[in-house]
Amino acid sequence: MALDKCKVAGSQRVGRRVVLEKVVTASAVFASLIAPAVLGDTAKASKTEEEQPAPKLPPPSPNEDPLIRMMRDLQKALKKPVEKRRWVMVIDLRKCVGCNACTIACIAENKLPPSVVYRPVLHEEVGKYPNVTRKFLPRPCMQCDNPPCTPVCPVKATWKRPDGIVVIDYEACIGCRYCITACPYGARSFDFGEYYTEDTPEIAPVEKAPSFEYHRTWERKGNESPIGNARKCHFCLHRIERGLLPQCVTTCIGRATYFGDANDPDSLVSELISKPNVMRLKEELGTEPKVYYLT
Amino acid sequence: MLLLIRGEAKVQSDMSLVVNLPKQFKLAYYVLLVILSLIGVIAIVVRLIVGIKVTALTSPIPWGMWVAIYIYFVGLSAGSFLLSTLVYVFGMHQYEKVGRMALLSALFSLFAGILFIWIDLGHPERFWLLFVRWNPTSVMAWEFFFYLFYIVAITFELWFLMRCDLASLAERESGWRRKLFKLLSLGFRCPKTAFERQRCHAQSMRVVRTIGIIGIPIAIIVHGGTGAIFAVVAARPYWFTPLLPVIFLVSAMASGAALMTFLYSFFGERDKDYSEIVRGMANLTLLFLIVDFLLIGFEFLVGLYGRIPEHVEVYRQILFGPFPYTFWVGQLMFGSLIPMSIASWRKTREKTFWLGIAGLSAVIGIVAVRLNLVIPALVVPVLKGLDTAFIQPRWSFCYFPSLWEWASTIGLIALVVLGFSVAFQILPMFGEVERK
Repeated sequence: MALDKCKVAGSQRVGRRVVLEKVVTASAVFASLIAPAVLGDTAKASKTEEEQPAPKLPPPSPNEDPLIRMMRDLQKALKKPVEKRRWVMVIDLRKCVGCNACTIACIAENKLPPSVVYRPVLHEEVGKYPNVTRKFLPRPCMQCDNPPCTPVCPVKATWKRPDGIVVIDYEACIGCRYCITACPYGARSFDFGEYYTEDTPEIAPVEKAPSFEYHRTWERKGNESPIGNARKCHFCLHRIERGLLPQCVTTCIGRATYFGDANDPDSLVSELISKPNVMRLKEELGTEPKVYYLT
Repeated sequence: MLLLIRGEAKVQSDMSLVVNLPKQFKLAYYVLLVILSLIGVIAIVVRLIVGIKVTALTSPIPWGMWVAIYIYFVGLSAGSFLLSTLVYVFGMHQYEKVGRMALLSALFSLFAGILFIWIDLGHPERFWLLFVRWNPTSVMAWEFFFYLFYIVAITFELWFLMRCDLASLAERESGWRRKLFKLLSLGFRCPKTAFERQRCHAQSMRVVRTIGIIGIPIAIIVHGGTGAIFAVVAARPYWFTPLLPVIFLVSAMASGAALMTFLYSFFGERDKDYSEIVRGMANLTLLFLIVDFLLIGFEFLVGLYGRIPEHVEVYRQILFGPFPYTFWVGQLMFGSLIPMSIASWRKTREKTFWLGIAGLSAVIGIVAVRLNLVIPALVVPVLKGLDTAFIQPRWSFCYFPSLWEWASTIGLIALVVLGFSVAFQILPMFGEVERK
């Protein structure tokens, strides 16, 4: 299903490229004289949009940033067919300082409205003054292997992909919100179609900017999807399939969030989740989350 | 007030207060209903244009008053229908005169229920996807089909019940009524001789009985299944109990019986069977209310004894949360204690007027039961600290219906009551022909 979507999105882009090529050909005679560089750039931009070569990485080195290592793991996993990948996230709670940068980066990446949050950070105060401390628990979607949210959907608008990511087809979702009540982690939100700058003289243009979830361009207007839909974290599917790490992983100031392919025994995440200090939330429900916490 | 609509109802043996009210009240009643219905229609239009942000719902509490009213009406429908099967399937002919009323209220209630869940959808225009993308693992998807099946069954049953009356009314009446009855009878003609007529009646009743028999499991699935929508959600301990569909059914039966008590007490035919029927209905209501009270009591006891924090917290919210009157006044007083006392106290249990009041009280109180089934379960965060993790009005764990929600709820209920009243007045509700 999601692959169909990619195809739809791809065909749209082809259309745009055809137009672009026509423009290029028509004005070639004239333009080639004046602005070859500009046109060249435009053509290149459209090409990268189409094929998206993964970013080039430096050669492996012993003390490299875990982000580089994870990107290398990611690019390796992308060479496999989709059903051979198993995306997992590992969050090191000892490293998390509760800065909420991941929450905000996610909101910026996916242009989330005020009613939607994919990755809040839960704060808990432990102990009594003066022996007091705070614990932080970032909570993305657990991308359960046995998700309670998908079977309840009356219109099959949400499902688990072969690589384990639970996705929503915004254009099929009727907005009944059954999945929101069924999620034991509160990982699903509803898009009420509001804006942070709603009661100000002008809605900030950045809020009206399109979101690129699921490799599509979602404009925010009227009551059109994703407004009126359930929404959830998708491990930045549109980024990882282009060779980029999820935005929350990239942005984490303490490198507390890891991401990668658990089916690859050599990946960083595989190394981390084989340690004994791993826990998952609400294991007793049998949901088999794919977000692991290091404690 | 509906009584006034049936102005010809004979006053007998009863001290009912409403009987002799002047005719203007009928007009006032209709004017009020029309105004409220208009408000409801406007509220729906606003909701459809502006979107679901007209509600006070939030991401953590995505189901609110509309969903509660939806299960309330589906319950009222299933309860009324199951009551009608007492007559048409189980042969309790002493309640014959309640039968059509019960079926008519089952039909209108189900329409109301579907209307409420439809406006609650984030994309109401996509409801048709339920036909083409139907998901067999979703209780909600199954329910949708049973609702449709159930509507068809009730409509057929009502028609077969009334076809003889409709046909003879089409012959007897004149003007638009004649046309209407002709249309409703779908060209059916009553036989002329008394013998043939009796045979025709027997045939109709056989069909009615068959549909009734098929309808019993459907009605149970319709409302037990609506309970199952909630009961299968393992994430919410307050819902996740096999007792929930049973509670849904029993309180549905209670609300159906209560509605019939109320309607028949005030607007029923005042003949020799009248007080017997009202008392019978009131006794049924009492029985179902007691069983409902016990079942909900078991839920409370087991839930509190289990001491699972998020389960206990739901009960704390119900009993002492921000809206305790929903439980103490709505559920406990109106929904249980008042009707139970009226129906069992020596001084009131024989008075049809008071029994009607008891029915009305239970009908109102069960709305509170439905509100308390839906909302408190969502008020308690599924993870500790989720309520303070993201501070936004739409990420709040408090919910009180918005003005638009109130307007649409009251307005739509008025619209359905209006439709029911008109149908009640026009259609042969108590079997005109057989007695003549």
